[in-house]
Amino acid sequence: MIGIAKGMSPMAKTSLRAALAAASLALLPAATVQAQIHEQPPIGEPVAFELPETRHFTLDNGLEVTFIPFGLAPTVDISVQVRAGNIDDGAQTWLADLTGAMMEEGAGGRSKEALAETIASMGGNINVGVGVHTTGISTGVLSQYGPDAVALLADVVRHPNLDADEFERVRANLVRDVDVSRAQPGSIADEAYRDLLFGADHPYGHILPTEEQLRGYTIEDVNAFYAEHFGAGRTRVYIAGRFDEAAMEAAVREAFGDWETGEPDSVEGATASAGPVVQLIDRPGAPQTTIRLGFPGVAIGDPDAPAMEVMNALLGGSFTSRLTRNLREDKGYTYSPGSGETWMLDGGLWTFNADVTAADTAAALRETFYEIDRLQSETPPHEEAQGIRNWLAGIFILQNASTGGLINQLAQRDFWGLPDDYLEAYVPNILAVSDEDISETARTYLPLDRMTLVLVGDLETIQADVLALPELEGARIITPDSE
Amino acid sequence: MDIQRGLAAGIGALVLAACQPADTPPETGDTSAAAETGTSTANSVSTDFTVDVSYHQLDNGLRVVLSQDHTVPTATVGVYYGVGFRNEPRGRTGFAHLFEHLMFQGSRNLPHGAFDNLIYGSGGVNNGSTRYDFTNYYEVVPSNALQAVLWAEADRMAFPDLDENQLNNQREVVRNEVFVNVINQPYGGWIWIDLPMAANENWHNAHNFYGDLSDLDAASLEDAQTFFDQFYAPSNAVLVVAGDFDREETLGWIEEMFGHIPAGDPLPEIDTSEPRQEEEKFAFIEDDLANQPALAVGYHMPPRGTPEYYAMAVIDQLLVQGDDSRLTQAIVNEEGYASGVFGGINLLGNAFNYNGPMLWTVGLIHDSEFTVSDVMTTLDATIEEIRTEPVSEADVERARTKLLADFYGTVDTSTRFGLVDLLASFALFDDDPSRINRITEGFQQVTPELIRQTAQEYLRPGNRTVLEVRLADEDGTTPEGEE
Repeated sequence: MIGIAKGMSPMAKTSLRAALAAASLALLPAATVQAQIHEQPPIGEPVAFELPETRHFTLDNGLEVTFIPFGLAPTVDISVQVRAGNIDDGAQTWLADLTGAMMEEGAGGRSKEALAETIASMGGNINVGVGVHTTGISTGVLSQYGPDAVALLADVVRHPNLDADEFERVRANLVRDVDVSRAQPGSIADEAYRDLLFGADHPYGHILPTEEQLRGYTIEDVNAFYAEHFGAGRTRVYIAGRFDEAAMEAAVREAFGDWETGEPDSVEGATASAGPVVQLIDRPGAPQTTIRLGFPGVAIGDPDAPAMEVMNALLGGSFTSRLTRNLREDKGYTYSPGSGETWMLDGGLWTFNADVTAADTAAALRETFYEIDRLQSETPPHEEAQGIRNWLAGIFILQNASTGGLINQLAQRDFWGLPDDYLEAYVPNILAVSDEDISETARTYLPLDRMTLVLVGDLETIQADVLALPELEGARIITPDSE
Repeated sequence: MDIQRGLAAGIGALVLAACQPADTPPETGDTSAAAETGTSTANSVSTDFTVDVSYHQLDNGLRVVLSQDHTVPTATVGVYYGVGFRNEPRGRTGFAHLFEHLMFQGSRNLPHGAFDNLIYGSGGVNNGSTRYDFTNYYEVVPSNALQAVLWAEADRMAFPDLDENQLNNQREVVRNEVFVNVINQPYGGWIWIDLPMAANENWHNAHNFYGDLSDLDAASLEDAQTFFDQFYAPSNAVLVVAGDFDREETLGWIEEMFGHIPAGDPLPEIDTSEPRQEEEKFAFIEDDLANQPALAVGYHMPPRGTPEYYAMAVIDQLLVQGDDSRLTQAIVNEEGYASGVFGGINLLGNAFNYNGPMLWTVGLIHDSEFTVSDVMTTLDATIEEIRTEPVSEADVERARTKLLADFYGTVDTSTRFGLVDLLASFALFDDDPSRINRITEGFQQVTPELIRQTAQEYLRPGNRTVLEVRLADEDGTTPEGEE
């Protein structure tokens, strides 16, 4: 049913248009009362989506700039991406977050309030987002304010006040946010999962700081983090939307041209360790069990990355995936099962997530193992595999057809050091993954006897059934009693 | 207020309006030509922005809105039925949402799973949602699949496959949805379920619209058939198509696919009005999973579309939207009670996509060391200022600018879901989708004096409900300061 049929010719369109001109439409229906149509209309050839032309230039201090003219509305998005993130925390988990939060507290001698009012009068808000590898300082404003917004953002990036008077309040906000996160079953599961995979020695293993850790950080720590990790040589600026390129280029050069290059980047990644290991975390009375099941994966630039993406989408990464059909649409064990990849510097992770009815926990795991095993042992039917490849090719358009989407995609390409034509080659690479590649990838990367599994739920209800599953035999088992 | 609107019957497939001259092209967002000439200035960026809109109606009452834009080769389809939480049956709380799930379970020519395969296999995505006054179903696909998608939507509008096994399956899926979003999460439903339940008097507005689990258990196939027959008729629906398509050809398909479906019976008249609230109300919930207290405050909104309603949209910007908002400044920056303040008009949507009584809401999670009285004192002082002191013209202008930027952010996205939602809402509730191009006019009429008058009536303490989220280990005594 997914086969590509011949498209409608332009001639046919023209004649239909003539027949159905708006004025005549009112006269037609009585004469053309129809019956229901039982045959699905054909799906024609897709029209190629062309990525917009971008322009790239580098300032003398190493700062890279990309212009992306795109969009309908008269707005412009500006995103400054600095290579500074939680991977640079060292043992001070969330020091990057604390630095980012302090950067929102005013810049260039202007108070937070003054800054917020100025950017709001342009239609924007300043957002500082701290990720594992990068800190993004971004805004979106009405087009006519683009150059002014560039100057304001540059102030936040280059001259944050980092005012000691604001520090205690900002740190207290993070203490509160961490406390709220720790009440969520998903965060509890993620924290344990990452710790099992990466251990205590690398920031990839730390999702949340302890309260004691956070309370030990000082404004001097923040100043030191900022000085070490922020500089023109580690920064990329992306501007997307409707804007005057000459005016924006002048604004970028004026705002960032004399910024110091800064310290060189010396970050190091880490590789996840494989199981088998199972950790059970008690949440007495919980009506659902929160599941994380995973394996070490591949980096985004790996030759196996396209096959990994197709395999993931077919197994658990789309609504039509096998795990969604089985666990949700057939069994009703869960609302939102899903799998996905996490790309990291020296590899990555493949993870399956679900929140399942407590009483069905063992049954849900049994079905999950069954689907992994089935994909490994049987090449998927061509129609199913082609549907998944078509889906990834189609959502590539949705991922790129907005200013924010284009910034994300280009920033990802640049951060991971992917080829310039990475985005242009993406769809052909996905379509080139064979049906057999999908099973081969599942065999290589999802070895059930090396799984890492975390369950957060009511152990009185789930523990005995789960530990009786044959796939868990031989795994290291961590329970509250064993710790 | 009666939320059901009659439709002029028997007027044929009249083209109600063609709001946009055919020769007005959409803005392309291409400014590169200007930049290349080297003559551009900051003023050369056009700020024109008009949404293409045409509005039609089939014989059976189905309202059709088309909005063309050929910049990206995708098409977005939205089918909105005029039924939501407010008009679901008593004793069947959550039924509108449960029924939404059933609409994905197959139809006469698309067995279970085939609909999703069609959408995903052609490179698209789909979903649905249930809100106060509508239930929607939407897809975005490469434009070559548009005809097939229209056919599929018509198939389920005409003959959904309402099946006992599917009902039982989706009952479990929805139960897991309620668990994962509400019952097994800290702060799961306080502000969007518990607060409206406490603030409203009329059952239609004050019941648990995610559904009491016992009501979900009681839902039968007969209920589903009755509900479908009552509400899922062309005369109670709006179809929106936005994106890359040929207008006349698409109108032809729509007539062909949907024209044969019987119009349906008139809707039952229901009274969803709320009395004027005279006395401040207090409520609390104990959240076993939360570890910081939280506070939500809801004020009844002025009726949608009135001058006071537009003034409340401006007040919303002044008080709670963005880092420059007054409650953020007072509660977060000055007092440090919370990491953030959030809220707005219609937390499950926006200021446009509802049709009946509504709350304007403020919420925050605050430290245990601060009492409810501390937080309310600051909130009251900030709100009293709006009620008694004139707002400056500059503040009003900044709020309008933020509203304009929000509007652009809503309508210019890769999926076009925001655009489709506004067009559908204005067609469903106002019979006039071209309002999308006059959306800012209401805000232009808002004066500082109207803001003061509106705040006097609608930000009265007597017009509000204060809901506390208390921690489980609290002893249940009334906290100090609560009246």
